[in-house]
Amino acid sequence: MAGVLPKGNDPYPCDMERVVLSGLAVFRWAAWTWMAVVLAVSSHQLRRPGLALALVGAALADTVLATVWLKRSPSTLLRAPVVSVELGLATALVVFDGWTYGAHHVFSTSQSLGSVWPLVTVLAVGVALGSRWGIAAGCLLGLGRLGAALANGARSFDGARRLSLVNTAVFYAVAGGVAGYLVGLLRRAESEISAARARDEVARTLHDGVLQTLAIVQSRSGDQALVRLARQQDRELRDYLFGDAAAVGDGSNLRAALRRAAARFEESFGIPVDVLVPEDLPELDEARTRALSRAVSEAMNNAGKHAGPNRVVVFADRADDGRVFCSVKDDGRGFDVGAGDGGVGIARSIMDRMREVGGRAEIRSRPGSGTEVRLWA
Amino acid sequence: MGVARPRVVLADDHPIWRDGIRAALGDDFEVIAEAGTAKEAVESIRATRPDLVVCDLHMPDGGGLAVARACGADTRIVMLTVSEQERDLLDAVAAGAVGYLVKSTSGPDLAAALRRAADGEPVFSPALAALVLGEFRRLAGATPGTRPLSDREREVLQLVARGHSYNEIGAELYISAKTVENHVRNILHKLHLSRRHELVRFAVEHGID
Repeated sequence: MAGVLPKGNDPYPCDMERVVLSGLAVFRWAAWTWMAVVLAVSSHQLRRPGLALALVGAALADTVLATVWLKRSPSTLLRAPVVSVELGLATALVVFDGWTYGAHHVFSTSQSLGSVWPLVTVLAVGVALGSRWGIAAGCLLGLGRLGAALANGARSFDGARRLSLVNTAVFYAVAGGVAGYLVGLLRRAESEISAARARDEVARTLHDGVLQTLAIVQSRSGDQALVRLARQQDRELRDYLFGDAAAVGDGSNLRAALRRAAARFEESFGIPVDVLVPEDLPELDEARTRALSRAVSEAMNNAGKHAGPNRVVVFADRADDGRVFCSVKDDGRGFDVGAGDGGVGIARSIMDRMREVGGRAEIRSRPGSGTEVRLWA
Repeated sequence: MGVARPRVVLADDHPIWRDGIRAALGDDFEVIAEAGTAKEAVESIRATRPDLVVCDLHMPDGGGLAVARACGADTRIVMLTVSEQERDLLDAVAAGAVGYLVKSTSGPDLAAALRRAADGEPVFSPALAALVLGEFRRLAGATPGTRPLSDREREVLQLVARGHSYNEIGAELYISAKTVENHVRNILHKLHLSRRHELVRFAVEHGID
């Protein structure tokens, strides 16, 4: 069974990461193509064509290498040394932009080699190392542009130029940060999905085996102790498989509190209880949860002691007025509520409990048709 | 009223369960065929036209859901399942099963419930009623055009979910047990229609033919 449980440290990237990395690879090729086009179109403005060619060549090598890794071992692209080298290349591209081109290029509107490529890099850093590093990479490239301006011979930075530099840095930082954040969200979603999938698989496996066997014991065994044990195991396994295990211990969760109360009752009386609570039950504060679960316990115990039922149903749902309605119904012998002593005495403490939290209680019973305790809180 | 000695088809991929159910049914029922897969079950049902089908929700090749879809309109199908939390169960009921029983139900209770099912009463346990109650709420939120339950039907459904018998519900609402039964049948019918409506809408929205 261990084989289907999620692994802690998966050396292989998940499907989502593969998709994101593939997207980046496409973007890398597009950015490189753009760079090549810019090189061709702006060749007359270049001061150092050899350096420009070398940079474009390095970017091509990076693009090819990244594509090969994507095919062979995608997780390499997520490693810090690899993205650091990419970031170094992008920084060089940005800085050397000022060096390769003629004067006044950096703050002009003309395209340059490093106009799109750095964006690929901050995205890659964000994806691989998270939003903080994505933002840091963006800031570094923003600084790189200041270096480019200096290399380009700019000496004065007026308001417009400063704004332009800050603008670039903010743009890259935001891109890197958002990429990291989104991928983080996706990773979390994917790991939740795979955990749920693994649990489903465990559930399916146990479903046809253990749960079936426990059900056979419960339906066919004449041994009451064995039936009780099977029922208890059955319930624990279900709580684990179908998700309520996580809620156990949370006092504010009415469903969990009612389940625990029912389990205690089943163990002491050996009478099966169905606890039926819809998924969209509103959250209740602790006082009301405690009052309801104690009143329910008390009602079940009364049923167990006096009514001799075959089965008890505990039901909770939202009431029309926004409160929570809860009922405990048994199929036992019932009694005449109007006839006086017994029922009222039993009811007193349940009513008090509910009144304390601003709720109310009602008891309905007739000889021969069971008893229902109705609670609102 | 009802069939004197209902003719039953048992479908479960575990022979031990079929043995157990046969033992629980005793002489009051006549088991005319057994099946271990959905395909076998559908074939026997078509060949023998039973009064009642007791069918495991989980079987090879489609399980109880496939059987309910193929034969739900022609015969009464009661699903057996070990787990009540499954959507499959709701699908099977929406596809025409008249109810379900959990496999941990004791032999005598199983026989009594199947007797009522054979007599035409929907075997509507509190757990199923609670499930259906939640499903209608989900449908009302998710699918405009869902036929909502009437106030009376919602009242009946809630009382079933709270563990009341049809007789008790009748006494509570000042109607006959037969009327309660009719309400339950209408609720199941509406569930069937609403689920189909939802499926069609989903198919149209997603361009599936």
